[in-house]
Amino acid sequence: MSAQPWHKKPKSYVIISLAVILLIAALLSSDSKGIFNAIVAGITAVGMDWICFRLRKRKKWIPDGAVITGLIIALILSTATTWYIVAITATMAILSKHLLVYKNKPVFNPAVFGLLLSILCFQTGQSWWGAFGDLPAWTIGFLLVAGYAVTSRVNKFPQVFAFLSLYFLSLFLLGLIHVGGAADAFRPPFINASLFFALFMLTDPPTSPVSNKDQVVFGLLSAIVGVIIYSYFGGLMYLFIGLLISNAYHVIRSRTVSNIVYNSKRNPPISK
Amino acid sequence: MAKMDKKWVILCTTAIGVIYSAGYLSTEEQAALQEPQHHINSNIQSVSSQVKSQYKNGTFDGAGSNRRGSIEVKVTINHDKITDVEISRFAMHYSKNDVVGLPQEVIQKQSAKVQNVSGATYSTQAFQDAIEAALTQARNV
Repeated sequence: MSAQPWHKKPKSYVIISLAVILLIAALLSSDSKGIFNAIVAGITAVGMDWICFRLRKRKKWIPDGAVITGLIIALILSTATTWYIVAITATMAILSKHLLVYKNKPVFNPAVFGLLLSILCFQTGQSWWGAFGDLPAWTIGFLLVAGYAVTSRVNKFPQVFAFLSLYFLSLFLLGLIHVGGAADAFRPPFINASLFFALFMLTDPPTSPVSNKDQVVFGLLSAIVGVIIYSYFGGLMYLFIGLLISNAYHVIRSRTVSNIVYNSKRNPPISK
Repeated sequence: MAKMDKKWVILCTTAIGVIYSAGYLSTEEQAALQEPQHHINSNIQSVSSQVKSQYKNGTFDGAGSNRRGSIEVKVTINHDKITDVEISRFAMHYSKNDVVGLPQEVIQKQSAKVQNVSGATYSTQAFQDAIEAALTQARNV
């Protein structure tokens, strides 16, 4: 049983950071519709999470993860998105968290899964307004301060640095040979989206690895898949697809490692 | 798992900042080229002989852009009436399906003021700006 106070827990750090970002973005863009969307997404996510927990007959329910999912969805979906589309997106995210599981942990980042499905099913406009995509470039400072605090708390710097270094390096090289809209990727709102993604979504502890080496591989894979999809197809799904593929890789690798450990325990090497 | 040393965090952040800056600076020319050229006047079939008409007859290009991309349109005007609207270039980072019904709406309303497509605010804005730019081109001074 953890005696840690709520505000010092990793998920609390994420919730507080995202809530502060939500308020700053709403204030600076003078648009309160984003806050309304956050309330809709939050209530739907928490409600669905509670229902799924009851159905799975699990005892200890903490709504923190669902709140984070709701906040991320609200910060990425355009503030003009109709409320029921926001609610459906949050529902799809939470369902993926409970249906696509490996060893009781979600396989895919729930918010990313919900947002990707939302584009595919409803062509939702994802503006990343909560990453300050429509605001002056200096506002990225808020994103970096909050994001670094979260990354440090969840201990995911190797993953974030691996992702950002390969992501920018690949785009730099593509820019040199004039391929795939690299210029856009270095400028708002795409740079805002990439930083928000790296600092708040890639770092999700249940769906990403723990060890430094695995974190680096995870970050590099997300970056390379994302850049390939961006350079060929553009659009807004490239970061999501990169992360979902890395999530799948993480589960496959965990399975492989646990199988090797299990087999070595059953058939220990013969000592001379 | 041990936390990453602060020195390493600063070093990695600096290295990434350098790569980002190199990417930003090396793509400045491309970014400038991607800005759509406004007020391109093309394909004017005939200048109206009616002195009092509001618009010239012909097909006029217009472009609208924002941080999410750009849209270019061709607007055909005949005797002060918008007879045809075509999206000649769609370079938004959203689906073209979002705005596929807007040209028809412009013809019906005879105005650039189209209804905002839910969730496609940026594409709608760029489209509207493009139509307004084309109409400005067509205006009889």
